[in-house]
Amino acid sequence: MNMIVPLSSLQPGERGVVVDIRGGPNFRNKLVAVGLTPGVTLHVIEAHPYGPMVLFVGGTRLAIGRGMASRVFVRRL
Amino acid sequence: MAMKVVALAGNPNVGKTTVFNALTGMRQHVGNWPGVTVEKKEGVFEYKGERFLVVDLPGTYSLTAHSIDELVARNFLLNGNPDVIVNIVDATSILRNLFLTMEIFDMGLKNVVIALNKMDLAEKRGIKIDIRKMAETLGVPVVPMSAKEGVGIEELKETVYNVAHGKVRPNPVTPTYDPDVEREIRHISMALSQTELTERYPVRWLAIKLLQRDDEVMKLVLRYLGEEKLKEIMGHIGEAEAKYGRAMDLILASQKYEFIDNLMHRFIRYTKSEGINLTDQLDRLLIHPLYGFLALGIVFYVVFKFVFAIGLPLQGVLDDSFSAFGEWLAPHIASETLRGLLVDGIIGGVGAVLSFFPLVFLLFLSLSVLEDVGYMARVAVLMEKLMRKFGLPGKAVIPLILGLGCNVPAVMATRTLDEERDRLVAMFVNPFIPCSARLSVISFISGAFFAKHHALVAVSVYLLAIVVALLSARFVSTFLVKGEETPFVIELPDYLIPSWKTVLLHSWERSKEFVQKAGTVILFGSIFIWYLSNYPLPVGTGSSYAEKIGMFFEPYMKLMSLDWKAAVSLLFGIIAKENVISTYGILYGSADALVNAMTPLQAYVLAVVTTLYIPCIATIAAIRAESNWRWAAIVTVYMIFVASLVGITVWHLGSVLGY
Repeated sequence: MNMIVPLSSLQPGERGVVVDIRGGPNFRNKLVAVGLTPGVTLHVIEAHPYGPMVLFVGGTRLAIGRGMASRVFVRRL
Repeated sequence: MAMKVVALAGNPNVGKTTVFNALTGMRQHVGNWPGVTVEKKEGVFEYKGERFLVVDLPGTYSLTAHSIDELVARNFLLNGNPDVIVNIVDATSILRNLFLTMEIFDMGLKNVVIALNKMDLAEKRGIKIDIRKMAETLGVPVVPMSAKEGVGIEELKETVYNVAHGKVRPNPVTPTYDPDVEREIRHISMALSQTELTERYPVRWLAIKLLQRDDEVMKLVLRYLGEEKLKEIMGHIGEAEAKYGRAMDLILASQKYEFIDNLMHRFIRYTKSEGINLTDQLDRLLIHPLYGFLALGIVFYVVFKFVFAIGLPLQGVLDDSFSAFGEWLAPHIASETLRGLLVDGIIGGVGAVLSFFPLVFLLFLSLSVLEDVGYMARVAVLMEKLMRKFGLPGKAVIPLILGLGCNVPAVMATRTLDEERDRLVAMFVNPFIPCSARLSVISFISGAFFAKHHALVAVSVYLLAIVVALLSARFVSTFLVKGEETPFVIELPDYLIPSWKTVLLHSWERSKEFVQKAGTVILFGSIFIWYLSNYPLPVGTGSSYAEKIGMFFEPYMKLMSLDWKAAVSLLFGIIAKENVISTYGILYGSADALVNAMTPLQAYVLAVVTTLYIPCIATIAAIRAESNWRWAAIVTVYMIFVASLVGITVWHLGSVLGY
């Protein structure tokens, strides 16, 4: 079953498709502009329990704060 | 004939600066965009005997109204009438890069050339791009490049030349969206059409931006068409969003990416799957919550040593040579007034300005290297959590640490922060960090008055200053500076060996800018202080303006147990903090007399106040150069206030405790 979960719950090595971003316009825009937008596939490279997550999206490596990652919803692949 | 204008647009980390330098070489100028503290670089290149003006736009991912950088770039594209727009695209990250390209196409701009940079890297990663097909699909010329190796620069110049002269006529593809969204765009376009507004701006762009609820475009509609029209349009958008159950900007963005994805399949092939590479392996160490901090400590130590171990002696040499020059010159000038003005005021002032040059240059050199290697992004990641507690982004730790050496380059370093808000906060608190000049005051006092515990006393002053700086950051970011906290998401570029040409050129330009901008302030400040201390009679006679000012402030100084001599010393400390002790010595006759005249507690208060009370004139000039006069004035007043508060508190607390 394909579950929709917050990005922050993904483990290193897992992949997901972004389905929604929950937050204000400034927040949405920032994520969208760096390539995190509904529909794109991402690949989690690293996730330290208290630090940021490192992702690979559309040819770019991104670091994203935990709090932010919990507001991005993905479908686990 | 006016020079044709070429605008460089592109994402951060695509090698835009490298392309800019490769095009313009030494013929460039760094300044600010009018009214904002966003850096503006302009340069000139020549092709077939014609000169082109290149304007480097801020590196951005999109062209919304959410940040100053994006607004600056967008306003130039809309209103600056560039003849050619060179959009630099990173070949290793085409999907994301073309998002900006589509934003440019949305604006209805025609004369676009794509400079497809980092081709060498793309090849290594197994990304195959059919350049001819890409140009055909996008409808604009595409120039493959590896700017760092100088590959493709001549071709880019030629293409720009051809487009500027209409020999090549680009016809960019129009980004299209789902039929439903297109219907909304048409609807809004109709509501706007045939007005003054659509004569000035492309109507489709206005409609798309309104769908995204773009503040600036909403203001435009309000100004040109009135409140009723705006309400009508926004009401319609509200209905549409309710229908889709999702914000329109998200819908537009995902459809734009979909559109790009569809185009990309026609010209790009990936022959290797993206695996974990060397950068990822290094990152395991460098952004690790434990090893990462260790590595950071080592990097800071090296940078600090590099800047100050080389810079401070050089500063000393320059300072000494200017003094020597002054001393040599003095006997040759008959008029006493002229001699004083020239030797103490002007030569002293110019010497002070130029003596900062090595420090500032070495600092910018280190920062450029860290930035171009890709390490700066990792610093931001590591420190984000800690620094956010004080209202600052992770990268702001760099200027704070540099402040321990000298606040002038440290204030300049705040420009590495991405948001204006963060820059303002970071430069506000920087002068609290005790620089090496204040180290000399702190160590003199702790050595002379606290023989036994001198190290402990010195460390306590440092800790106090750092606590004040961090609490002030918290205070300023909460009450004084507008703007919401920016979400933390940052690109981690591949680690790269920097291009020395880029790094050196960059550092040189920025240091030169410092001398030009801060120079006059420092010079006039020096002349002013010289005047105060020599008129109507020189200091020591008790009737100079400086001494009168000191005596005027004596009742105030008494609140923290200090006398008018302290006030005069602190006044001279504005020129350079190390002056505080020497001036005190002069007023008391000797340093020994000074030691006998004060109790240890009074001396401690003096050390604390000297550390906190005001930025030196060069730092004030640097803050002004990086922001404006108003901000420099606010920082100065705030510091005087905080120093008084802390000074009075320490004195009374110390007395109560029986010191």
